[in-house]
Amino acid sequence: MPTKLLRPRPYFALVRLAFHKQLAYRAANLAGFFTNSFFSVLRASVVIALYKAQPAGTTVGGYSLQDAVTYTGVGQALIGWIALWGWWDILLVVKSGDVATDLQRPIGFFWYWCAQDFGRACGQMLLRGLPILLLYAVLYPITWPNSVAQSLGMLMTLLLAWFVSFAWRFLYSLAAFWSSDAKGFGRAAVFIATFASGFIMPLGFFPDWAQRLLRALPWASIVNTPVEAFVNVVTGKALLLAIAQQLFWAVALCVLAHAVLYAGSRKLAVDGG
Amino acid sequence: MNIYLKLLAANLRSQLQHRASFVLDVIGTGLANGLEFIAFMLAFTRFGEIGGWSFWQVAFLWGLSETAFGTMDMIFSGYDPGYFSELVKRGDFDRVLVRPVRLPVQLFAAEFALRRIGRIGQGGLIFALALANVAIDWTPIKLAYLPVVFVSAVAFYGALFTLGAALCFWTTESIEIVNVFTYGGTTMASYPMHIYNDFLRRVFTFVVPTALMIYYPALFFFDLPDPTGLPHFVQWLAPLAGFGLLALAFGVWQLGVRRYQSVGN
Repeated sequence: MPTKLLRPRPYFALVRLAFHKQLAYRAANLAGFFTNSFFSVLRASVVIALYKAQPAGTTVGGYSLQDAVTYTGVGQALIGWIALWGWWDILLVVKSGDVATDLQRPIGFFWYWCAQDFGRACGQMLLRGLPILLLYAVLYPITWPNSVAQSLGMLMTLLLAWFVSFAWRFLYSLAAFWSSDAKGFGRAAVFIATFASGFIMPLGFFPDWAQRLLRALPWASIVNTPVEAFVNVVTGKALLLAIAQQLFWAVALCVLAHAVLYAGSRKLAVDGG
Repeated sequence: MNIYLKLLAANLRSQLQHRASFVLDVIGTGLANGLEFIAFMLAFTRFGEIGGWSFWQVAFLWGLSETAFGTMDMIFSGYDPGYFSELVKRGDFDRVLVRPVRLPVQLFAAEFALRRIGRIGQGGLIFALALANVAIDWTPIKLAYLPVVFVSAVAFYGALFTLGAALCFWTTESIEIVNVFTYGGTTMASYPMHIYNDFLRRVFTFVVPTALMIYYPALFFFDLPDPTGLPHFVQWLAPLAGFGLLALAFGVWQLGVRRYQSVGN
């Protein structure tokens, strides 16, 4: 396995292909952008109304009003990047049995899909993520990372957020090895991630007990960490610590995914043909 | 009606065949929106009010909108634009057309999605809790108007689904923008409408009258002055707007059926 991993060529090809595939879906991306924009404005309106009742300059969970509005924008911009919703690629491959072909490729199944997902994520970031962010910069005063170091840290959290998301999606998709109705299970997995990642509301808005719990779980790495880095709620040493935590979950979920994949493929019996 | 009940019974029996999957789906659809509400509730503890409204007042909107949408989603699943566009694309709508049963009977019966009781249950629970906690000065008129508002909202959301489905006769593909008005509209109606900017609020009052269904009646139930400055009678427009739009939607749908030419496979 490690020797295969060391040859990067096929992975680059997969990333590039998946990236170009995204660029081909113009109408879908435009419609997606429109929907994202609508929900962005909606979420921003809720946040603004919540802050309005507070004395001016109030911060909640470290967020000023401007930070909180930025939060809703970055959250929407992340939708395509982390693809938590409506992503069934691997689940369908396992369910249909095509996984048998994929498992015979000279590339590890996990990394084969990881490379493709990275290409997909980059395409989505370019077509949907960045435009949403630009729209936000036009509509509202928003907060940006306040130094070069902070920007680099933020980019690091962004990359790890994608990887943790991928590993999580990979993991629940494998339920299809055991159940023909894994989609129900997958949906539950998606809801939990939506809530616990801080996508709906920043974790900093929650009561302390809920924050302590949710910050200790892997999903916070997917949305909450990159956004807190983006709006400078977490800086310096705390940022390094947050990155370390993301790294921990990245490795843990990756190992777990491989273990479950091994168990699942043991069970796989392919009928002739 | 008789044939509708028979088709419906057959459909429900088939849905209950896979018990485990059914139960999981019910929990799933309930959980989806329930978690969103819990997130809002947890965050609300830090803020205390939104647009001058208390938590339970918002819960009233939320529960009403969710329950009405969930109920509609169960009854109108055959008109769900996503489902219906598949029917048209695959050419399966031809099969529906040649059957000797009226179209609406078939569509209503064929896709009555029982699993939506998850969403209805979740919305209903929020609504019940809101009713128990919110301060409403109940009068006979209010008691009589509440079920009317609910049924009108179901009809209204049904009209949006039907219009979205009718569009497929012209476009084949389902139009994602429709989702903004259906799913987006429900989410929007879960908060007091005066927190949105004028443009957004006007679109959802005068173009797609979601605000007339939930928000303005709520002002009446709470005896609150209208911060948006519309005439008083808009609080009574829910039934007219809901059923009027539904009638219009079925009219457009009929036009679409007449113009339908199959995809040719």
